[in-house]
Amino acid sequence: MSTWELEARQISKQFPDGTCALQDIDWRVQKGETMALIGESGSGKTTLLRLLNRLVEPSSGTILIQDRPAKTQDPITLRRRLGYVPQDGDLFPHWTIRHNVCLVPQLLGWTTDQQRDRLNTLLTLVNLDPAQVADRYPIELSGGQRQRVAVARALAADPAIVLLDEPFSALDPLTRHELQEQFLSLKTQLHKTMVLITHDISEAFRLGDRITVLKDGRIHQIGTSQALIDTPATPYVASLVQHHLGLERK
Amino acid sequence: MKRWLSYTHNVRATHVGLLGRSLLRVLVFLIWVSPLLASPNTTIVVGSKNFLENRLLAEMFAQLIEAQTTLQVERRLGLAGTQVCFEALKTGGIDLYPEYTGTGLVTILGEQPMRDPAAVLNHVRTEFRKRWDLWWLAPLGFENSYALALRRDRAQALGLRTVSDLVKVAPTLKAAFGYEFIQRADGLPGLKKLYGLQFREVVGMQQSLKYQATNKGDVDLLDVYTTDGRLAVYDFVVLEDDRQFFPPYDATALVRGATLERHPQLGQVLSLLTNALSPARMRELNLRIQEQGEAISQVAYDALRDLHLVKEEHQPATATLKESTSFVSYMWERRATLMVRTGEHLGLAGTGLLLGIMLAIPLAFILERWRKGAEAIIRAIGMSQTIPSIALLAFMIPLFGVGVLPAIMALWIYSLYPILRNTFSGLRDAAPSVVETGRALGMTEWQILRSVRLPLAAPTIMAGIRTSAIWTVGTATLAAFIGAGGLGVPIVAGLQLADVHLILSGALPATILALVVDSLLGWIERLLRPRGLETSQ
Repeated sequence: MSTWELEARQISKQFPDGTCALQDIDWRVQKGETMALIGESGSGKTTLLRLLNRLVEPSSGTILIQDRPAKTQDPITLRRRLGYVPQDGDLFPHWTIRHNVCLVPQLLGWTTDQQRDRLNTLLTLVNLDPAQVADRYPIELSGGQRQRVAVARALAADPAIVLLDEPFSALDPLTRHELQEQFLSLKTQLHKTMVLITHDISEAFRLGDRITVLKDGRIHQIGTSQALIDTPATPYVASLVQHHLGLERK
Repeated sequence: MKRWLSYTHNVRATHVGLLGRSLLRVLVFLIWVSPLLASPNTTIVVGSKNFLENRLLAEMFAQLIEAQTTLQVERRLGLAGTQVCFEALKTGGIDLYPEYTGTGLVTILGEQPMRDPAAVLNHVRTEFRKRWDLWWLAPLGFENSYALALRRDRAQALGLRTVSDLVKVAPTLKAAFGYEFIQRADGLPGLKKLYGLQFREVVGMQQSLKYQATNKGDVDLLDVYTTDGRLAVYDFVVLEDDRQFFPPYDATALVRGATLERHPQLGQVLSLLTNALSPARMRELNLRIQEQGEAISQVAYDALRDLHLVKEEHQPATATLKESTSFVSYMWERRATLMVRTGEHLGLAGTGLLLGIMLAIPLAFILERWRKGAEAIIRAIGMSQTIPSIALLAFMIPLFGVGVLPAIMALWIYSLYPILRNTFSGLRDAAPSVVETGRALGMTEWQILRSVRLPLAAPTIMAGIRTSAIWTVGTATLAAFIGAGGLGVPIVAGLQLADVHLILSGALPATILALVVDSLLGWIERLLRPRGLETSQ
């Protein structure tokens, strides 16, 4: 048993239209670690995330989830084991908060009592009042509240791994800051392995234990924020770091 | 799976309930119509074309059979033209209808006109028996030929007596002809060829309208039936067919051989009318319907009574006279009939629509999973919308005979496209990012379709069903042309009689029906709209 929870070996992905999304990616995430994936749109960060839950299949190379090749795992079962927080929340608009949060437990066949308990725990965990929101529809909630529900939904079946696709980017700065704070406290409470996509270097520095910098389908650097600041591997990484430091100084 | 079912049931309890109940209703309706679809062996179905004299003759046949035999008679009167009647007869949708020998020769057999009435009769008798086992009974005693006519003062001013006289002035004249006359080989095309006629303008017009138009001077010339009662009312001159173009049109019953064999008494009873009606008598009878507004059933009864063929107690229901009553009381008097017609109408449109829903929605589900062929198939079904409704109805006759069944089939085909198109695009375009999230969280494609796409597409699907419903209710008025009943019956009859009240008595309820159906479906649409989407509207 290695300590790697997620692993990409020699991954390349070319889409049918010829665009090369990823090239020769070797990438690993430790158990309990939060890995931030940063890059511009088209850098391949979303493709890498979607390879993990088999929404996309690699052209070549191997993905390992908890040391088992993803290819050998049933995609439906696999996805139910990986929490997922989409951009914008993307809650099911025609379902109540209760239904949204309990989706994966439902799919896994939990009893109603188990689901109710879990719902209360989760909503409380993300700072929502279960009595107030459980039976409301997503449209009746604010953007920040909806995003908290999306986090609760991802954690519902207590997955060891959670994938977050720009979870906070659509929120206003104040709410975003608040949710980032909460994310950090959740992180220390729950010890999940997390992969978080962002295009905001400050967010990556704040939330990530380590950071992967992607550009044009290639990895420029993997390291802690300190490593990126001290020894940027490429000019691109350096410019990203400069930008972050510039913001810090203001 | 069970858990999943109960889960989705919670999501939209009304969904499942409504679907179940509508399915039940379809079944009940199918059981209800099935006896109508299969006529029992003791029932004779009498058809007629959609003009008055033909209806009158058919009604006389029907009453005669009722009075003289124990057979049941079903009336399918006012079918749209020769082709529809003949197809219906051939396929057994009707057992008999009144036909004219010349029409049999030229329109049906497609042969050159012949002049000798006896020769024509013998020829059509031999050919029809040989080809289709259809029997021409002995003629009724009058000929109803085509002729050209115009106002007496116009004829005198132009110095017209014969069709040959017409040739030189025709390029300055505007003619109003019946739709069938314009098409038939023994009508305008043949007439133009033989005489070398060329009119300034030819407009297709409905029978009673062209009399009015000619009388007012809007058009110069019209085609008439020589037994038309209106020739006596309007001061029109009939031009002599001096080159003998029009073949003889002896009227008689055209009957299926199989029917005659099954009910030998039928032939005997119908031949009681042999040579019983003179041209003058026929004009008189036609006039009573055309101008005095008497009910066809009443006039048919009187004619048979004068021939001592029916007993007094067989008198049909009281005739409604065309009097200048107010429209409201007119509608009120006819309320019983109108209720029945509305029921028929709703039955036709409703069955067509329900069958449409039952095919189009599952098909859309399949096509949504099989996108490659989807667009082609949807387009192909969309083509059915471009077939004029009356033509589509006519196409159904060789396949399903006349009456309720072909009408429902045609309405079914009509109802498909809007439902299919809306269901397909509704399912395909339903909130793509939400669908993707469902997938990422581990829902199967089927679960996504069933619990995400379908509920989110429900409003779009219902909009398609509403469009379809309006079309179907509208198109069902045309079902009267193939003898399927409905609110089209008073409309078609009213057009023949130029009776505005009669037309409105069908058109108005049809419009109201469309509005009611639309708002009812609108209500269901609101019911089906997922609650979470409601507040965003």
